[in-house]
Amino acid sequence: MSKITLTINGKQVEGQDGSTVLEVCQANGIYLPTLCHLDGLSDVGACRMCIVEIERERRPVPACTYPAQNRLVIRTHTERLEKYRRQVLEILFTERNHYCPFCEASGQCELQKLGYQYQIDHIRYPYIFPSLQVDASNKYWVLDQNRCILCGRCIRACNEIAANHTLEFGRRGFKERIAVDINQTIAESSCLNYGACVQACPTGAIFDKFSLYKGKEDECQKVDTICPSCGVACEIKVLTKDNNLVKIKAPGFKDNPRASLCRMGRFELVAPKPPRVISPMVKGKSGEFEECSLDRAAEVLAKRLAKNNNGFSGMVSARLPSQTLKAFKRFMNEVIGSDSIDTIDGASSRLISEGINRFQKTTGRRGLDIECPIEDIMEANSIILVGADPDLTNPVVSALVRRSVDLRKTKLVVINTLDKDILPLWTTLLLKPKPGSEGTLLNGLAKMLIDQNPVSGERVSAEFRNSLVQYEIPKVVKATGIDKKSLESVRDIYGLTKPGIVIYGEGLLQQNDAGLITTILYLANITGNQTQDKLRVISLKPRANSRGAWELMLTKGINDKSNGLYLLLADELDSETLLPHLKGTGFLVVQASYHSPITEMADVVLPSPMWAEREGEYVSQDGRFLQANRVLEPSDGLLQDEAVFTSISQKMGHNLVLN
Amino acid sequence: MAKVKVASAWLDACGGCHMSFLDLDEILIDLADKIELTATPITDIKEFPQVDVGILDGAVGNKHDEEVAKKLRANCKILMVWGDCACFASPVGMRNLFSTEEVLKRYYTTESTSKDGIIPSSEELPPLTKVKPIHEVVKVDCYVPGCPPSPKAILYALNELLAGRIPVVPSEIMRYD
Repeated sequence: MSKITLTINGKQVEGQDGSTVLEVCQANGIYLPTLCHLDGLSDVGACRMCIVEIERERRPVPACTYPAQNRLVIRTHTERLEKYRRQVLEILFTERNHYCPFCEASGQCELQKLGYQYQIDHIRYPYIFPSLQVDASNKYWVLDQNRCILCGRCIRACNEIAANHTLEFGRRGFKERIAVDINQTIAESSCLNYGACVQACPTGAIFDKFSLYKGKEDECQKVDTICPSCGVACEIKVLTKDNNLVKIKAPGFKDNPRASLCRMGRFELVAPKPPRVISPMVKGKSGEFEECSLDRAAEVLAKRLAKNNNGFSGMVSARLPSQTLKAFKRFMNEVIGSDSIDTIDGASSRLISEGINRFQKTTGRRGLDIECPIEDIMEANSIILVGADPDLTNPVVSALVRRSVDLRKTKLVVINTLDKDILPLWTTLLLKPKPGSEGTLLNGLAKMLIDQNPVSGERVSAEFRNSLVQYEIPKVVKATGIDKKSLESVRDIYGLTKPGIVIYGEGLLQQNDAGLITTILYLANITGNQTQDKLRVISLKPRANSRGAWELMLTKGINDKSNGLYLLLADELDSETLLPHLKGTGFLVVQASYHSPITEMADVVLPSPMWAEREGEYVSQDGRFLQANRVLEPSDGLLQDEAVFTSISQKMGHNLVLN
Repeated sequence: MAKVKVASAWLDACGGCHMSFLDLDEILIDLADKIELTATPITDIKEFPQVDVGILDGAVGNKHDEEVAKKLRANCKILMVWGDCACFASPVGMRNLFSTEEVLKRYYTTESTSKDGIIPSSEELPPLTKVKPIHEVVKVDCYVPGCPPSPKAILYALNELLAGRIPVVPSEIMRYD
């Protein structure tokens, strides 16, 4: 980009060709008021606050949409412009029902701030007092049309950041409103609750329920950390007041592929939770829990563990940072004397690991770090989504898929055996193979790609080539129920529209077949869909440190014969999937943040910090090393997990030194 | 120097703006040297004499409010208004979103303030009209918004008037909440 020179308010300033007048002003420290502009969203010139006079233009023009050009002569704060800005503000105030005293946004409202700035102490126009709707039907956020200035930031955040197109303008002119789908309530709409609109709203028209009246933004402390909720591990900004969670925001929309956040990261982390486990508890002979000191619990535990340690297993949540995972592993190995250890999602990690190993054995490639970063989704021209429901498990990934389809017309092939439609509006081709036949389909696809465009031995081993012989098209058609034409379409979309990415998730892993992962890696290898040492393949992982736990070898798997389990559950709340596996484990120790059906089952319950009370390192699913910072002081002097391990170790006569 | 004569009244309001004035606390003692309060809700005198400064808070919500506003305007040189209701019609103006019947029914029959669900009516009670900010009824010279205005903003405005200037509350202390 070349440099350009402009004259702003009589001063020569430099700018970049291709930027807007607003960007040049901001880069040169020249303030312009804005309302509809937000960094990271497209500009539309709706609010007219940033109007400037440009010498060759007859009328004032919005700086946010005017391209900066060489030798432009611009004035930003003439009497006329300031008069117009004031008028715009007054019209905005009269057009809807803006009552600051009981608005959640008061104090951080951009309209209010400009009202103060322009010293608006009365409005010269008559008030309209329109009767408008408040939609509080949704669990997470509220849309109050009374406080809306129609800047459209929520609509652009919904379209460009979450890329879900739930919000749009409805009707025209004086009757214009923010419309949710086709005039539905938010609860019944297509909204997936990323909450980008909540963060984008400059007034109190959109606000989140869980943070309501917990504190004004400027009274809050802000801590940057990461979200533990899924393998994407998004950067989040956590707002707290008086050691309470208030709100979670994305650090910014601009140049942030994870800007959308999602319902889990933005809302669920702040949602009301079950009661905390505050004190250690030991189940008595009658089956009732007794609260006790950590010392007493450690004593009971030590006694029991000393008897049983040979058959004792450990299971841990990969929502925990690497330091805690390491400490847990050492505690299990050195103190309990057991190497029967796993994470809650360890089975998936083992399967992926095995799939990669097989691929590497036959191709001679090295290293676990073989998958591409999720940013690559935005560079893809074709995507195969197989056995994955990212809207449910890793919503930021599905936002990126939708953005890619919206912006690049990326061709999306969805291979799905669920009843549910996955990204239906964005899908080029939907394949619904017979349940369990995904492997046949993927192998068939690999064979078709090789047959169509023969590849060298470097890309595909003889062993793999031979394994594909059986996947003749008619056989694949019969096994999968997918017709030949559709199979050829997938082949052509993925094989010819490069770069192409394959994304797979839990649905595929449930087949419990590592060969499927090997085939997926081969698909990328055959078609040359790679960047340097990475293949354009993404596996969706369920927890922020799933990858970290895997790299720390915590996913070896547990011994079926063990007669006791030490479960470091931390702040996991998903007891439904875990409960069936815990039946018949024998003696059960649960270290958890919250009371749940799982703690009910336990023989000994120990307290554990929740995500915001921890710090440590994480490895996201695409291999980014991330630092989680402590957001809250642990409640009531709650011990960190490491201190609990040390205490039990001492009772057992071990000196476990953890750093 | 002769004291500046002040008269004030509250219209359709909660009275919080005058409370905020009283929240000037010990500063009121200094002000008493410079200002003479005549007819005000604080002195409980209703008939306005001729004054230098008239002060109103609250919105105009019925005929009576309109009459009081006009009377004070006629009896003062400078009219200052306090609070969001006076400056912007709201919060009181929220009732413009509903019909008078709906408002009265809600207030007298569904809330704990109602005794037997009877909406009081009398010829002496002025009927509710559409809520307006004061400057839609009489000319206003200066505005101190806030709900209520902070004592700081009120003091700023009074001091400016005492210094012979028409106050405009500076951005730093202006608040709408």
